[in-house]
Amino acid sequence: MPPTPNKTPNALLHGALDALILKTLTRGPSHGYAVARFIEETTGDAFLIEDGSLYPALYRLERKGWVEAEWGTSELGRRAKLYRLTKAGREQLVAEMATWRKFASGVSKVFAT
Amino acid sequence: MKRSLRSWLWRVPIDQEFDEEIALHIEMRTRELIAGGMDPAAARAAAIRKMGDVRTLKRECVDLGRKRDREMRVTLWLEELRDDIKFAIRQLSAAPAFTLVATLTLALGIGANSAIFALVDATLLRPLPYPHPDRLVSIWEKSPVNARGFASPPNMLDWNSRSRTFENIAGFTPAVASMVLAKPDGSAETISRQWVTAGIFEVLGVPPIAGRMFSSEDEQKRARVVMFSEGLWESRFNRNPAIVGSEVKLDGELWTVVGVVPKEFEILGKTSMWAMRPFVNMPPRARGAYQLQVVGRMKPGVALQAAQADLAAVAEGLAREYPQFNKDRTVTLEPMHDTMVGSDLKTTSMLFLGVVGFVLLICCANVANLLLARATARTRELAVRSALGAGRLRIVRQLLTESVVLALVGGALGIGVGAFILRVAPTLIPDGLLPGTVTLQFDMRVVGFCAVAALMVGVLFGIAPAWQATSFSSPEVMGSDSRTTTGGGGRMRSLLVVGEVATAVLLLFGAGLLLRTLIAVESFDRGFKAESVLTMMVDPLGSTFPTPEKLQQFFDQVEADTRAIPGVQDVGWSSGLPLGESVFGEYPQTYEVVGDAPVAEGRKPTSSYQVVSPSYFSTLDLAIVAGRGFDARDKRGSPRVAIVNEAFARSLGGRDPIGLQIAVKPADAAPGDKPTILEIVGVAKQVKQRPDESSDFVQLYAPVAQDLVGDIFMLVRSQSGRASALAPSVRAVIERIDRSQTTSVASVTTLEDVEWAATGRHRFRAVMVAAFATLALVLAMVGVFGILAYSVQQRIRDFGVRRALGATSGDVMRLVVGSAIKVIVAGAVIGLVLAAAFGRLIATMLFGVQPLDLATFALVTIVLAITAALSIAGPAWRAARIDPAVALRTK
Repeated sequence: MPPTPNKTPNALLHGALDALILKTLTRGPSHGYAVARFIEETTGDAFLIEDGSLYPALYRLERKGWVEAEWGTSELGRRAKLYRLTKAGREQLVAEMATWRKFASGVSKVFAT
Repeated sequence: MKRSLRSWLWRVPIDQEFDEEIALHIEMRTRELIAGGMDPAAARAAAIRKMGDVRTLKRECVDLGRKRDREMRVTLWLEELRDDIKFAIRQLSAAPAFTLVATLTLALGIGANSAIFALVDATLLRPLPYPHPDRLVSIWEKSPVNARGFASPPNMLDWNSRSRTFENIAGFTPAVASMVLAKPDGSAETISRQWVTAGIFEVLGVPPIAGRMFSSEDEQKRARVVMFSEGLWESRFNRNPAIVGSEVKLDGELWTVVGVVPKEFEILGKTSMWAMRPFVNMPPRARGAYQLQVVGRMKPGVALQAAQADLAAVAEGLAREYPQFNKDRTVTLEPMHDTMVGSDLKTTSMLFLGVVGFVLLICCANVANLLLARATARTRELAVRSALGAGRLRIVRQLLTESVVLALVGGALGIGVGAFILRVAPTLIPDGLLPGTVTLQFDMRVVGFCAVAALMVGVLFGIAPAWQATSFSSPEVMGSDSRTTTGGGGRMRSLLVVGEVATAVLLLFGAGLLLRTLIAVESFDRGFKAESVLTMMVDPLGSTFPTPEKLQQFFDQVEADTRAIPGVQDVGWSSGLPLGESVFGEYPQTYEVVGDAPVAEGRKPTSSYQVVSPSYFSTLDLAIVAGRGFDARDKRGSPRVAIVNEAFARSLGGRDPIGLQIAVKPADAAPGDKPTILEIVGVAKQVKQRPDESSDFVQLYAPVAQDLVGDIFMLVRSQSGRASALAPSVRAVIERIDRSQTTSVASVTTLEDVEWAATGRHRFRAVMVAAFATLALVLAMVGVFGILAYSVQQRIRDFGVRRALGATSGDVMRLVVGSAIKVIVAGAVIGLVLAAAFGRLIATMLFGVQPLDLATFALVTIVLAITAALSIAGPAWRAARIDPAVALRTK
């Protein structure tokens, strides 16, 4: 599936969570909770989300083929569903980041005036 | 994708997956909060709170998950298909001999079917090439003696003005005749012409490609107007637009060319132009002249029954108003498509379709047999795949993909075979079998047919072998030596071959009946000698010979000069050719003996009518069996005489026909018309008029001098050698005598060729069915050979043991031959029983042979025995030569 560029700022904000998840998964397969924790830590609570809203995003990404799920073992030794970034997901992430930078630099220029 | 595939195969239900995932999340969050110093109960509550509305989440996620699974299944299916196809291609190219034989077999079967499909499509399936063809109906006048009679022009006009269900009704004359076109350079050419009424092209919905259609003003003015066919416009006038609206000289008169009709609409008759015949201010007796074939266009949404009821009511009114002509007359309606196609073509098409269908079944059986043999050899491979976790359905699917790929390759080659057959077919198809200018064409519909046929065939011949191949228990097979696994496959293969033999026998029997019919129509004594007779249609322009005397002089002069040509034995003239056409078209005459009790109109016997010169009988070597032939006495103005044929003489109730006076008039004459009185002076031997006529045909000859016709067939018998060699000299004679050179000479041929054409339908059917039956027989015998050779191969050790235990090579051979004969005899018996049952279906196509013909039964049996012996000989010989020492050593 080719990367889908998000064009409007609204879509950008909406797609931010997707981008964050994809970015998180570049460190390796993780289960949902680990993804949530990593986002919390790295964004310094700037990006406060309800834990629940993470899952529809993960399922959506899985449907798009950007991540895939497999059963692995969690730190607790229990069966856990692990999400892994696919090749398509990696490409999508690159595209998302490019779009994001463009948007952010545009906004910064406006604020710099 | 491999991972997602595995996760999909080993997956848990989505809602359970979600529950587990959330539970883990909450537990880990709780643990973390506790580790951060929170009270366990509060921590858990906080973790759950932070999760949000789990029920909504679950609905959303499960929904997304299901969608993903569905999409994945399709992707997976397509991927498996791609893998299967790749694998199939690899498998097939690894066995080139098998693949070659199988695809060629299928190509033959599918190709033959596609060609016949093209025939059926062109004639039965395709609608007429007019707009809204379903609204076009043929309207016939129905009389007590004929349900589908031609209509009289006044009746047709009244139908048109009084009916409420028709947009328009028009007609045409069924026979195509000709007109002489005078060309600017002074020469003349005969152009075929059909008469039509003014509205015909409007009814059919044919827009002219140049100019206009006939109009009602043309009809009111009784204008001389013609429309050219596109073919004529192109070949004679080079598509010159100036010709439209100009005048041409036809039969010595000036006609206006108002328009040109496009090619695809030229299906009413094989003609080059259509001339309008005006029907205004007709005399009352015209109502009794039944001459038009009528076509009507129903209004949109009108059903055939409603139109029939409407017109029947109109006809009832006409019967009351004009009882003299219309008493007991009503109408018959039928879809125009039915009229155009005709029952003969329909049955022929269905016959061919059935025959090639059987051929295809035999092809399938043969390929299925090959697959079964292969499947036995592949048992181990399949067992391994099964042991590695592939389910039976998965393996069946893989094998089916293989057979469908095989069939598709065969189908692609079959397209080529079909295209080839359609290229050569037109030379085989007799004139007049296909209506109008309908031609067979190779187009996307045929390609589509091939594709669909290949898919169905692939599944058909693949499913049984695939099922058979997968019915094993894997450990047993893998552990065993591959060649010991036979069993059920052998029985299925024998059954397939029995079916093949039965089908081939059935087709052979049909071919035998049709061939015997062909022999019967060709060898039948026709009563005359057709060899070395040249014929041509001579049509002098009326204005060059304005009086009958001048015309007669011209014919006499041509005859005298032609007789002077070296090599000419005899010259005769006739209005019609036996087995060929007549310048009168169908022109039956009713007759009665003068002095007998009068017979009611419509009950009188009818006879065909032919005018001939005195030398006609000697030219054809046609015997006068009683009385005299025509001679110089029977000239214009002397008492009118006739010669009748034997069937006519028999109809006179045992009286000596010589000297009887008969009253004769055309069957379509109006009741008030005066008959012609003729005196019978001789009886001629019976002549066949149609090659397959079932009852003797009644014929009346009149001297040409007493009923001179403007266009006439000339017959020239040569002393020896080919009659056609005389044609140039005869043409030269005519050109010398008619100094204005306006006489057209057409249809130059020989009587033998006329005969050949007359039996064309029978030959076409016989040749086609015989060719397909031969193909079927060869395929069936290949099948017999195949199972025999295979079983000998399988039983080498068995035979070796028998030989070692004292069996002679004769014993072994008998064993092999015996098993083959069992299969063949079973197939032959079934085939002959089917043939006896099916024979009646083609009874209408037979002549001179019964559907249960014993000679054909015997012939089929002999042919089968010979070919069976050929196919058995090889394997039996091989079995007999097995050396026990060698055989026992083989594994």
